[in-house]
Amino acid sequence: MQANTENQDVRKREMGKVSSIISKLGVYVLVIALMILGTIISPKFLTTSNFMNIIQAVSLLGIVAAGVSFVTYSGNFVDMSIPCIMAFSGMIAVDTLKYGIVVSILCGLSTGLVIGIINGTVVGKLKANPIIWTLSVAFVGSGFMRWFYSGKQIYPDVNGGAAAEVFISLSRTNVFGTIPLIVIVMIIFMILGQFVMTKTKFGKQVKLVGSSYEVAKMTGINVNGVVSGAFIVTALTASIAGIFLTSLAKTGAFYNGEGYDFNAVTAIVIGGMTLTGGRGDVVGVLGGVLVIGLLSNVMTLIGINTFSQSIVKGIIFIAVVGINARSLRKLGRDDA
Amino acid sequence: MLGRLESSEGMMRDMDTKKILNKLDYYRIYMILAVIFILMCLFAPNFFNTFNIINILKGMSLNAMVAVGFTVVMICGQLDLSIGSNLTLGAMVVIGLQPTLGWFPSLIVAVLAGSLVGAINGFLVAKAKIHSFIVTLGTMTIVQGLIFLISKGSALSVNDFTLADWLEAPLFGLFPPRVIITVSIVLIFFVLVKYTKFGKGFYLVGGNKETAWLAGLNTDLYLILAFILSGTTAALGGALLAMSISSAVPTLGVSSQMVVIAATIIGGTSMAGGTGDIFRSMIAVLMLVVLFNGLMCLGAGYEVQIFASGLVLAAVVLGESYALYEQDKVKGQRPALMAELKKGAL
Repeated sequence: MQANTENQDVRKREMGKVSSIISKLGVYVLVIALMILGTIISPKFLTTSNFMNIIQAVSLLGIVAAGVSFVTYSGNFVDMSIPCIMAFSGMIAVDTLKYGIVVSILCGLSTGLVIGIINGTVVGKLKANPIIWTLSVAFVGSGFMRWFYSGKQIYPDVNGGAAAEVFISLSRTNVFGTIPLIVIVMIIFMILGQFVMTKTKFGKQVKLVGSSYEVAKMTGINVNGVVSGAFIVTALTASIAGIFLTSLAKTGAFYNGEGYDFNAVTAIVIGGMTLTGGRGDVVGVLGGVLVIGLLSNVMTLIGINTFSQSIVKGIIFIAVVGINARSLRKLGRDDA
Repeated sequence: MLGRLESSEGMMRDMDTKKILNKLDYYRIYMILAVIFILMCLFAPNFFNTFNIINILKGMSLNAMVAVGFTVVMICGQLDLSIGSNLTLGAMVVIGLQPTLGWFPSLIVAVLAGSLVGAINGFLVAKAKIHSFIVTLGTMTIVQGLIFLISKGSALSVNDFTLADWLEAPLFGLFPPRVIITVSIVLIFFVLVKYTKFGKGFYLVGGNKETAWLAGLNTDLYLILAFILSGTTAALGGALLAMSISSAVPTLGVSSQMVVIAATIIGGTSMAGGTGDIFRSMIAVLMLVVLFNGLMCLGAGYEVQIFASGLVLAAVVLGESYALYEQDKVKGQRPALMAELKKGAL
């Protein structure tokens, strides 16, 4: 008993220190630091157009990350089939453009939905390892796509009708004159994600499943359903991002969306979510996404080339996660 | 009474079938290989001849070498995403340094570079206690950036083909030295990890880290060693490949990474750690190469090869998790009692 209170005293003392500040403000420390750095370095940094550029560049990643954060939150690491889902929904959407824009988008979304349901069933019900299973889905999916379209890219046929034009303009539309539609969609998804994650029954169940699978099961939560739900949400957001990406590139191809799986997990983990699940929120993920965007922007303004940028990004990634894990451990909130 | 006797017999029978199933599970990969090999021999033209078999063995040797370290990391219950870029690092360093240092010293430097990356991975995982997925994802990006920075994104090559010719020319009519080196390293580490007291520690650490620690094992050391081994064999595999073709490109390891991960899983190593072995990983790599090669002989393109290997991986993962799911359902039930219930004896 005495040891226990002593422990708590130590904890209280630690709370006042850096660890607590880091774990409270989280990733926004980094966001602010990068913004200050950018302002010092270049007068071009603090302009509306530059900010719009930054946000637009990461908006697709933001949409994906908002979805994937549910998988990470539920303790299932990451969905490696995201590039496959993005490419596949894009290709299907382009392929079905001849039936009109609404049908095309619905088909694209249902492609994502189907893959999400498959992932959800296998990982949720059969408890396959999420990384390995989604990896094999990515393999099968990308192989199927290449085989089905014989390795070719497909293009929306602009002369074929209005649908193709609408499809291409999807990612080029501005709302309120200046704000691109993609950015609006990202912000909506972030707000929606934060709301669902923190305020709804589903979000709380995901948190419990992520924190302790066994406890969640004993409590009577339908754990299979919750995990499946997380994968379906992820797949849906990925297919929305995939449709936007395809519209942006004007090309449906099997390589669309490459790298989004790792980038999404980078953003999520920098944003303060732990891979073991049950910790963090979508606001943090938004911070992580912003960090990735700001980092590229600031480094480009300094004049660092792309290759060195990836080195710096890797180092910052490991350092941020290391500091996060350390401060959580110091606060006694993490056993990892 | 009679019912009970019968049910105990039934239990024995159950245990026998369980044992057989376990054995089958263990030899699963050999059976998959045999089936694919026989099918390809029967149906694929130009598949079963010396030239093609040598090709298959050569195709196996890169990924089999990389799979050595990766399997040990998986046995420890960790993941190493940096194998692809480590492999490229080894290849680029050995080709980049050859003109100034000569083959052997540059090979040593290349392998040491891989070991260094592995050591950094291991240190960050074991001592800084960061999740291996994150650490190796980070080092993957860093090493890939370094490679592009140094090579400026272009391919490197050397004009000295004597070593390449020696490495590629088959000895005893079938085995090029590169294959012999790979297989012997696989065998050495297979025996070392599976049958020595020290090596068995990897299984313990992967199975249950707490127990391993309580049993007096230096768990951190084991983790660091596993990652060092992974970095080393990846770089060595890449370097050997580069030496045998006298050139290297900065994107060498991209496809390798996924193949190695897939093969290790198909070979029976579980992501949870504590099971699997290096030899079966090699057999799984061989199986995938046979599949690729056979499909190519049948006239299928690269896309079909990816599709087929994906299907094999998916089938294995699905089968494994379904077996676990079935096992989970009867967990905590007494088979004898269930048998009686089924018969309506109670």
